[in-house]
Amino acid sequence: MSREGESCDARVDRALAGLPRELPPDRDLWPEIAAQLEPRRAQRRWLPLAAAAVLLVAASSLITAQVVRRNATPVATVAPAASASGVVRPASFGPGHALDPEYAAARQQLAAMLAARMDRLPSSARQKVADNLAELHRAADEINAALALQPGDALLEELLLNTYQDELAVLASVNQLANLNGTVVPEDEGIKL
Amino acid sequence: MRIEFRDIAGARWLPTAALVAGLALAASNVSADDDTSINKRVPADPAGQVEVSNTSGSVVVTGWDRNEIEVTGELGEGSERLEFETSGKRTRIKVVLPKRGSSDDSDLYVRMPAGSSLFVNTVSADIVVQGVRGAQRLQAVSADIRTEAAAEDVECKSVSGDVTVTGHGKPGMITITTVSGDARLQNVAGEVNGNTVSGNFDFDLGATTRSRLRSTSGDLGVRAKATPDARLDFESISGDVRLNLVGKPQAEFDISSFNGEIRNCFGPKPERTDEYAPGRDLQFREGAGSARVRIKTLNGDISLCSK
Repeated sequence: MSREGESCDARVDRALAGLPRELPPDRDLWPEIAAQLEPRRAQRRWLPLAAAAVLLVAASSLITAQVVRRNATPVATVAPAASASGVVRPASFGPGHALDPEYAAARQQLAAMLAARMDRLPSSARQKVADNLAELHRAADEINAALALQPGDALLEELLLNTYQDELAVLASVNQLANLNGTVVPEDEGIKL
Repeated sequence: MRIEFRDIAGARWLPTAALVAGLALAASNVSADDDTSINKRVPADPAGQVEVSNTSGSVVVTGWDRNEIEVTGELGEGSERLEFETSGKRTRIKVVLPKRGSSDDSDLYVRMPAGSSLFVNTVSADIVVQGVRGAQRLQAVSADIRTEAAAEDVECKSVSGDVTVTGHGKPGMITITTVSGDARLQNVAGEVNGNTVSGNFDFDLGATTRSRLRSTSGDLGVRAKATPDARLDFESISGDVRLNLVGKPQAEFDISSFNGEIRNCFGPKPERTDEYAPGRDLQFREGAGSARVRIKTLNGDISLCSK
């Protein structure tokens, strides 16, 4: 069925383009996978399960996997490491979507204000704030990764939106507490945290 | 009225001041038993506003039936002064620290008209409030907050300190915000809202009309009696959510988790949301009530029961 003058690559491309874009498994593989992995109740447990499911699907149809790889939708933007201030970084909203510039500006402003006021907090509280902002960032990353696998999922979008709102609320709240207590406090040895 | 204890510690004029203060005690209720003790009482509006600010140590506030505000306690060594100002309905009590150098903990014991509103702000000074019926706004960075709720609004905010609120079953509005601190509510009714990143919430509520709780990784445990038109909305990313409803449930339920388990003691079993994804949904109506219960998580497990 080859055409004269057509390069080998072009023929392969044309053949691949004629293949189905998706090939669902013959049966639902999830219950077996879930049963094997059930004891491992890690917080991010769905990710390895989803990865395992993807591998099984790929193994069942190499050609489909190749097509999928060639036409793969870019996954959610992986945000860069924390900025110098340590409290803010760019945020994405699912695959290929960035948050509104006004939102990003407000977030950046709050983070900059907090960075300037952080030294007013006891050192252990500073660490708690940093740890919990990192926790919010991890949550956003996890939801973004899930959204990359299930774009448009209403639950994920709601959780992601609320997570970003929570981050703003934490930034605003700690800013307020640090501002009200506008005195530099000594190191807090013995403070119960 | 303004009273300041300036440069109390280590001042050379202290012996003279102590003598003068001792003589003044006969005509005044201001006392200074030693160089750091506080004892002051002023008339106050029964429905006024009291603001207390202390960086470290403790703040204990008690509501009483007198139209007076009394402050006793100890000013920490190295503190600059105690600011005590009354202007109209507003009274301000603040431990002023020096701009440079360190100071010890200050302990303030405040008694105020029970019907006045209260605003306390600290860094690492624990806050204890009892018998105050007015609205309360209590904020601490790393200290614990413990208070009683009456029918007025209570708002508690902390970074890492724990929060405990005990109510008397009267409906009010309680708002709890922590970053990593835990919160415990007992016998509180009305509207209860809370937000935390990694703190655990353990709420034992009476008749609840509205409640919206959110956490990122902290667990949310709630025991509540939902009123017929209640709206309960709980959400967590990786924390578990446990709801025990008191009495026969009369509500519409909308429960879903992207990757957590859903366990329910009544109603139908949860269903998979997608053939190839781990999500589970549980939507049903129980009884004739128009209350609504909504619980959403990413990884957290959900438990729904009635007792």
